[in-house]
Amino acid sequence: MDHTRREIEVMANLLSANDMQAEVNRTHFRKNNCLAINVIGSPGAGKTTLLEKTLPHLTLDLQVGVIEGDIFTSKDADRIAVHEIPVIQINTGGGCHLDSKMVNKVLPEFDWQATDLMIIENVGNLVCPADFDLGEAFKIIVLSIVEGDDKPAKYPVIFRNAKAVVLNKMDLEQLTDVNMATMKQDILSINPEIKIFEVSCRSGNGLIAWTSWLKQEVKVYQENIG
Amino acid sequence: MGGVFEVIEQTLSLHEVKRVLQVKLKVGELTNAEPDALDMAFEAYSKDTICEGAELIIERVPVRAQCRSCQHVFAVKTMFFLCPNCQNTGIEVIQGEELLLESLEVE
Repeated sequence: MDHTRREIEVMANLLSANDMQAEVNRTHFRKNNCLAINVIGSPGAGKTTLLEKTLPHLTLDLQVGVIEGDIFTSKDADRIAVHEIPVIQINTGGGCHLDSKMVNKVLPEFDWQATDLMIIENVGNLVCPADFDLGEAFKIIVLSIVEGDDKPAKYPVIFRNAKAVVLNKMDLEQLTDVNMATMKQDILSINPEIKIFEVSCRSGNGLIAWTSWLKQEVKVYQENIG
Repeated sequence: MGGVFEVIEQTLSLHEVKRVLQVKLKVGELTNAEPDALDMAFEAYSKDTICEGAELIIERVPVRAQCRSCQHVFAVKTMFFLCPNCQNTGIEVIQGEELLLESLEVE
C-alpha cells in the first residue's frame, strides 16, 4: 500500500546517549576539582607501563585515581594496585572501547575529596575509543614508535581529538626504520596544537617532561575551576 | 550500532509504524564509523525487529573547516589541517564529524 509509505525526519545524533552521560561525568569531575584524562593507544603501546612509570612522580604532589579498561582481565589494574593507588577495573566483556555509562557506574568507588587526577586507561585500540566521550577533560594518545610512522595518518580521528601524544619506546629508534620526522610532521599536520612527548618508559628518558606537563595541566584546571 | 537502534526505537515510539523500509544515516569522514561495518551490524541488529529487511543508506560527509584567522572555508583533504589561503594552522572543523540518523522511511 503505497499511500502509507512515508518519511520521518529524525536528524538525531547517534551518540547522543553516550554524549549526555559523558556530560554528567564531566560535571562530576569538575565539581570535585578533579582533572580526568582518557588514555588511548594500541594494545602494547605501553599505556599501563607509562602509568606505572609516571605514578610515582605524580603522587609526590597529587592524589591520583585510575580506572582501567580491559576486555576481560584485571592484569592492568593489578599492576597499578601495586603502587597503592585507588584503581578500579572495568571489563567491557568483548567491547572494544569504554563508554560514558561504564565510567559513570564506577565513580562511586572513589574518594572524591581526595582525587586531583583521574586517569582512565581505555581498551587497547586506536579506532573506536576516539568516538566515545567519557567526560574527560582531554584525551592522551600513547603511540609506540615501533608501530610505524604511518600510524598517525592512518588513524587521524584520534590524533585530531587528543591534547597530547606520548611517543613511547624511543630507546628502539635505532633498531627500526621508523622516520621520526615523518611521524611528527604527520601528527602536527592533523593537529597543529597537539603536544608531543618523546619518551622511553624502559630507560626513563623523557618521563620528567611528560609528568611535569601533566602536573601543570592539573594545576591550571584546578585554578580555573576554583 | 546500538546507538542507531536506540534512536530508531525512540523515534518509532512517537509514530504508528508497521515496518521500516529505509534508514538514512549521515556519517562524517572524521569519524571512525565504517560503512561496510555499519552495513553488517545493521543486518545483525535488525533481525527479528521492525527494521528487518530495511535498506540502509549511508551518506558520507566530507570534512570541511574554517580558518580562525582569515575565515576562509575549505575542504580538508588527506587530513591536512592547514588553511590553503593563509597557511594558518588554527582552524575549526565545521563538517565531517557528524554521526546522524537523518530519516526513516516507514509504512
